[in-house]
Amino acid sequence: TAGPGQPGPAACASWCRCDGDGRADCSGRGLAGVPERLSAFTYYLDISMNNITELPANVFKNLTYLEELRLAGNDLTFIHPEALSGLHQLKVLMLQNNQLKTVPSQALRGLHALQSLRLDANHITEVPEDSFEGLQQLRHLWLDDNNLAEVPMGPLGDLGSLQALTLALNRITRIPDHAFANFSSLVVLHLHNNKIKEIGRNSFNGLDNLETLDLNFNNLETFPEAVQALPKLKELGFHSNNIAVIPERAFQNNPLLRTIHLYDNPLSIVGVSAFQNLSDLHSLMLRGASKTELFPSLAGAASLESLTLTGTQIGAIPSWLCEDLHSLRTLDLSYNEIKELPGFQGCFQLEELNLQHNHIQLIHRDTFQGLASLHILDLSRNEITSIHQDAFSSLTSLTNLDLSSNHFSSLPTAGLSSLNQLKLAGNLEMKGPLAPRHFPRLRTISLPYAYQCCAFTGCESVLSATAEDEGKTGVSINADSAEEEERIPLPLHCSPSPGAFKPCEYLLGSWMIRLT
Amino acid sequence: QSPGVSWGCHGGCLTCSAANGCLSCKPRFFFFLERSGMRQVGVCVSSCPSGYYGTRSRSPDMNKCTKCGLSNCDSCFNKNFCMRCKEGYYLYHGKCHVTCPEGLIPSTMQRECVH
Repeated sequence: TAGPGQPGPAACASWCRCDGDGRADCSGRGLAGVPERLSAFTYYLDISMNNITELPANVFKNLTYLEELRLAGNDLTFIHPEALSGLHQLKVLMLQNNQLKTVPSQALRGLHALQSLRLDANHITEVPEDSFEGLQQLRHLWLDDNNLAEVPMGPLGDLGSLQALTLALNRITRIPDHAFANFSSLVVLHLHNNKIKEIGRNSFNGLDNLETLDLNFNNLETFPEAVQALPKLKELGFHSNNIAVIPERAFQNNPLLRTIHLYDNPLSIVGVSAFQNLSDLHSLMLRGASKTELFPSLAGAASLESLTLTGTQIGAIPSWLCEDLHSLRTLDLSYNEIKELPGFQGCFQLEELNLQHNHIQLIHRDTFQGLASLHILDLSRNEITSIHQDAFSSLTSLTNLDLSSNHFSSLPTAGLSSLNQLKLAGNLEMKGPLAPRHFPRLRTISLPYAYQCCAFTGCESVLSATAEDEGKTGVSINADSAEEEERIPLPLHCSPSPGAFKPCEYLLGSWMIRLT
Repeated sequence: QSPGVSWGCHGGCLTCSAANGCLSCKPRFFFFLERSGMRQVGVCVSSCPSGYYGTRSRSPDMNKCTKCGLSNCDSCFNKNFCMRCKEGYYLYHGKCHVTCPEGLIPSTMQRECVH
């Protein structure tokens, strides 16, 4: 009978499913060893998810056509130096989810055609110097989810063709200078979920083609200036670190950046010139840079679609904002110290604008002029005392308007016919009624006083009062009685809803009517 | 223990149910929602199926298979870096091309742009 791995008359071992074309799937069969009697022409062999603890010498000796070998999810603790001999055409070797404590360097030596090597999710603490000798074709290497305490610079030095490397989820604490010096072909480098506290000024020298660098979930305390050596960088992540300052000209050498993930850092200062000339930048989120006083320059950020800049001491929005950022769709400038609004004309693609919790006092005629795509506008918790009557006239797509907790006394309704949510609670100076017909699509409205809800939710006694009061409050309501009788057909929720102790009449509470 | 959930599951499963398959995975395995007719069934794998890649995180229940972000990619290292293209496309520096950049020729067998 044929030994393990030896070719046999039958095209396939009884444990496996073979397609007769060179693919054998023997995964999840509870095997304790490599199945026997495999076809000599097998090019794909999957023996993952079995109980194989060791690979003896020459176990694949006659599978010389093998290109992909899957051994993931076994209990491999030992691979004999001669175990993989004869596999001269092997391109993909999967050893992840095993119990290896070191890289089986001798076993890998003869795999000259290997392109992808998975060693992730083992218990590797040691990477021998000669681990990857002879693997000149290697392109993709997984060493993540192991126990490495440092970047294995020596062994990695042999891998000049490497294009993608992950060392994530290890215990690496620092990246020395020139750690990746020979990696001019590297495109992707994952270092997330380590304990990296220190990155040398020249750590990333040599990575001329790197496009993705992931430093998320580490212990960095200063901005990694080493990124300045990465001219092709497109995606950079260092969220969930301890970085307080983004320095001036931070990304001056990274003109191709599209995404920068830097949230969940205790930011306090952002250099004004940090984000200049990033014409491919797609989105930028800066929260809580509490000591930042000046709006960072976003000159040249023509592709920016989403900007979040909250929790700073910024007091003004630069007038150039919409001249540069004409691709902007969402803009969140809440929780700053903004007092005055410029015109947002150039931001004609803007869909969401959040200016909540600032110190804005006036809304001018041209503030929101031309924002025909705006759906959501949040101006709540400001100090708005006056809104120009045409301020909303061009907001034909506006569906959600939040003006709660301000100080104005009347609301201009021109342009608000598309609203389905309107929030006005907390505007104690606004005592006059509001006419439902200006809001044909309204579904939810919150008002300063309960009696104002009566016009929306049908308290009979108020309808005449509303027509009478109209003159006093200056709110232009067309007093055509037929139209006044028309109810809003859609179910509408108005708060605070009138009740026994919040009667529809405004003056004297008319207890007598309530009691009879 | 919630009703219908079993801890006696096989392979990389930690908890499972008859109706939904794996509900959670053992550490270091990737969770993947496999289509089974009209249903979706949870499975726990050590390597993700074609067109997906595994993302690992410190919290084990976040290890999952994520779809490659590149169209025409059969096997990817992460969302934006392909390792093997679909038939008719050729790999060059992690991207799949219909035609190869200047100076390179398409190798149909390897599905790559080669010198």
